[in-house]
Amino acid sequence: MGTMGLALPWKARISSMPRERGTRVEPSEHFAGGPRPALGEASSEDAALAAACRSGDLRAYDRLYTLHGARMKNLARNVLGNPSDAEDAVQETFLKVQRSIASFRGQSSFVTWTYRILINTCYDARRSRLRKKEVANDDSQETPRPEPRAPGAHPSLRMALERALAKLTQHQRDVFLLYEVEGFRHAEIAGMLEMTETASKNTLFQAKKNLRLMLEPPRDSAAETR
Amino acid sequence: MQVTCNDRDPIFEDGTLAEWAALEAHAATCPLCAEEVRAWKSLSVAAGELRDYSDSPSFWPRIERALAEEAARNPRRAERQGWFSFLPSLSPAWPAALAGALVLILILTLSAAWIYLRRPVDGRGTEDQSLLKSKALKEVESAETAYQRSIDKLAAEAKPQLESPATPLLADYHEKLLVLDSAIAELRAQAGMNPSNAQLRYQLLAMYEEKQHALEEVLETKR
Repeated sequence: MGTMGLALPWKARISSMPRERGTRVEPSEHFAGGPRPALGEASSEDAALAAACRSGDLRAYDRLYTLHGARMKNLARNVLGNPSDAEDAVQETFLKVQRSIASFRGQSSFVTWTYRILINTCYDARRSRLRKKEVANDDSQETPRPEPRAPGAHPSLRMALERALAKLTQHQRDVFLLYEVEGFRHAEIAGMLEMTETASKNTLFQAKKNLRLMLEPPRDSAAETR
Repeated sequence: MQVTCNDRDPIFEDGTLAEWAALEAHAATCPLCAEEVRAWKSLSVAAGELRDYSDSPSFWPRIERALAEEAARNPRRAERQGWFSFLPSLSPAWPAALAGALVLILILTLSAAWIYLRRPVDGRGTEDQSLLKSKALKEVESAETAYQRSIDKLAAEAKPQLESPATPLLADYHEKLLVLDSAIAELRAQAGMNPSNAQLRYQLLAMYEEKQHALEEVLETKR
């Protein structure tokens, strides 16, 4: 794996001073950018939301959207690579939830179940897009070509990370996105991706090791910049 | 707690807060570990660049409209699901498939009754064309066995995908195939009691074809 030639050296982004809290053991501990707190803290609300959706009350879906819409769309955009496909996937997910809410039996949390549907919908969309490309004899790769979006603090870093993520396995990419970007716990990711918690931890570790190899500038060139 | 460079990866993978604190204490005197810890943490920070929770004002109205249209299109869905609520809830396709199987069984029963009532009363009459002669019956059974064997091969190929379906679509196929197998078993039992009944054979053939198509579609998703 080659390096991605990041515009910003690691040390410019991360202070060498040890952090007060070590590191992120569980993302929800310091998840601040998202629209809502960790899933597990709201189990009663989760059950109430599921019941309201089951009754067909559209306001319940509005609530689900208010709580999770932005994060669902962000996840779908990162998986699919563009906002238009992401919106389609989120809309399809809401419709699938509405169609199959009667079959939800509470074996996982309602929200975990919803995200599982979203992820599967994204997989289906990705597969369908790949098939269309094959039919059109398009030689482009399966990995999505990210479209422009709201500029972050470090656009070059984001682009390098997106390119590196596209080279990971699907599971590694999804676990990284769910844990590091969306702030889910391993127990929640395990429910969404139908894997064990240990497998989720191990997959994240492998994902970050691979990303580290791809994103780290060679030591000699890094030394030159100092 | 004392840690060494060798403990770094296990802590990265599944370290407790105390272990992380010990690793950082170790990193204060170990430049290699300090660099690794910094790089590891920077990935979490970089991940923040992929977080864009900006809202699009037209998005929820679009979803709401689609939900309302879906609810209007299927006003009886909830009612239908209620009828089957005694069944284990597997997926939305399950009650529909079961209803289809029940309708099929009803049609078969009515057909059997109709054939029985229309049979020649004097024992002579014209030969009922819906009954197979013994030679034709052997040919049908032989072709049916070969066909079934081929479908079994397809089923074996699709088995890994169906046993642990990766998508709701595959789960639906799995359930559909279970219902088809059940309907096929029912038809075979009826055909066993009445082997010369051509109608039953046609129904059985249709079921096999349906199963074949479902399996082909499952295998298609793999490609």
